[in-house]
Amino acid sequence: MSTSAARLQEPVVPATPEARKEFETRVFVLLQEKFGATLDPLDQWGLTAVLDRNRLHDAMQFLRDEPSLRLDMLLDTAGIDYLEYPGHDLPRFAVVYILKSMVFAAHRMRIKVRVEEDDANVPSIHDLYASADWQERETWDQYGIVFTGHPNLKRLLNHCDFVGHPLRKDYPAQRGQWLLANDPMIDQLEARLKAKGYQILESPAPTSPALEETSFGRKK
Amino acid sequence: MKVITPEGDKIDLLTVNIGPSHPATHGALRNFVALDGETIVASVGEIGYLHRGFEKMVERGTYQQVLPYTDRLNYCSSIMNNIGFCHVAETMFGVDVPERCNTVRVVLAELSRVIDHLVCISAALVDLGALTPYWYMFNPRETILGIWEKLSGARLTNTFTRIGGLYRDTYVGFEGDVLAVLKDVEKAVDEVRRLTEHNRIFLERTRGVAAISAERAVSYGWTGPCLRATGVDRDLRKDEPYMGYETYDFQTVVGSTGDTYDRLMVRIFEILESVSISRQAIARLKPGPVNTADTRLSLPGHDKVYHDMEALINQFKLVYEGVRPPAGEFFGSIEAVNGELGFLIVSDGTGKPYRIKVRPPCFTQYSAYYELVEGSLIADSIACLSSINIIAGELDR
Repeated sequence: MSTSAARLQEPVVPATPEARKEFETRVFVLLQEKFGATLDPLDQWGLTAVLDRNRLHDAMQFLRDEPSLRLDMLLDTAGIDYLEYPGHDLPRFAVVYILKSMVFAAHRMRIKVRVEEDDANVPSIHDLYASADWQERETWDQYGIVFTGHPNLKRLLNHCDFVGHPLRKDYPAQRGQWLLANDPMIDQLEARLKAKGYQILESPAPTSPALEETSFGRKK
Repeated sequence: MKVITPEGDKIDLLTVNIGPSHPATHGALRNFVALDGETIVASVGEIGYLHRGFEKMVERGTYQQVLPYTDRLNYCSSIMNNIGFCHVAETMFGVDVPERCNTVRVVLAELSRVIDHLVCISAALVDLGALTPYWYMFNPRETILGIWEKLSGARLTNTFTRIGGLYRDTYVGFEGDVLAVLKDVEKAVDEVRRLTEHNRIFLERTRGVAAISAERAVSYGWTGPCLRATGVDRDLRKDEPYMGYETYDFQTVVGSTGDTYDRLMVRIFEILESVSISRQAIARLKPGPVNTADTRLSLPGHDKVYHDMEALINQFKLVYEGVRPPAGEFFGSIEAVNGELGFLIVSDGTGKPYRIKVRPPCFTQYSAYYELVEGSLIADSIACLSSINIIAGELDR
């Protein structure tokens, strides 16, 4: 067993408000010095550090690997659209990364990256946290924020033919779309096989659950 | 599909869609696999078949109107989601609920954990071909659903808690009903343990199947029983206690190898811990108010509304405009059945949430599923799927 695994299996000390405060002060000073982070005044309960997107990847790697911080779990990635937020004069979108530590119970924080609508892209961190893969896909799907470097930035929750990004504030909740196509997913499967060292000689014909059902029906 | 393997052999792979509507997926989940014989060589998938736009819908109503939507996240243990959302909203307000409310919530949360685990374990065993445990485990579940019905009028989508308290106090005879069903639960768990623990078929079908290492599980954001099955001793009830969990005597259940066997066994033993917590909570249940006296959150009583103008206005404002948390962004979470259920709430100071992001525990767990099942048999992938307990309601939102 590697040392980090042994570390994971040790019991942790329950979090106290003092320990949380101490962590938040310490980590913010570090982020400020190393990555030019600023405080997000909207978070009056915990710590949200605002970062420039160019420093995001390095900062996340630092937070994950620094032995005294060990923010090794990316709980969630959330997009926020501030279009209708009262008194908001900063860029329209924000991506929020919710982090916590498996080693120190009191270590929890959020990282926020702001992006403008016409330049909505953020570097992907799927190589640092495996959970970022789907979370970034979901954020792209719902908000249209591009995660540069993501290997498979496809829609996740919405239908593959869906037009628009439904959680944007200017997308009407009642708008309906007629969606029929199926995602054959052969490209994803082939990419997966290639990553495992397989060489594809012949691709299968596109098939989908719905197509299978109709062709079965015709044969009878 | 013709391929050349990394070893240089030219073979034919069969591509098959498992799901989206297959009885063993327990919901609509599509798993698209390339098979070499019966072994899964590569696996990819598609989710979203149950996407209802939870996060879009909740932006249209008040904070209180979010609650019925939370029922439909993990519909096997609705009350747990109600408690989660209310607890997060109350923390945002900085309001403490009365002791009786917290104790009743602990009883309900632990009973929810019990029924959710019962459903998960029994369905997993059905997928392995063992039908009998299903009957043993669904009987006490049915009794607990009866308690839900007496409490809230609904069996599945209860909406029983409110921000700042509960829909109403428990009924006369609640404690007796709970204590009686806890005995049934213990009996059912005991019977199922005797059927499985030394059962060679069960052991060979689950041990070493679809195992995940602790590091990989952490990187994938696993929480809850699935993470504990890998040996990581983390439970929000212990590490960041809420609702008074630090005052209860219980243990976290931790596995060692992170395989299907560990995931199911962790759940079986967690049921027993939940039974113990419920008993302790019932023992300390004292009469008292269940709603906070804070008029920003609680509706005034009928006697006041009918005779006092201020109370009438208060009632009107709370119902029409909703409770108004301070403007800002807050993330809070509880230890739900499958792991950490979190809510990121963005408030603009009005009675309607500006944005609510749910952090469902299933989502991160299911994203690792494709990697887990590669290299295993189709039958084992089904066993793995039921052991990580994917609830499409909270996965797809």
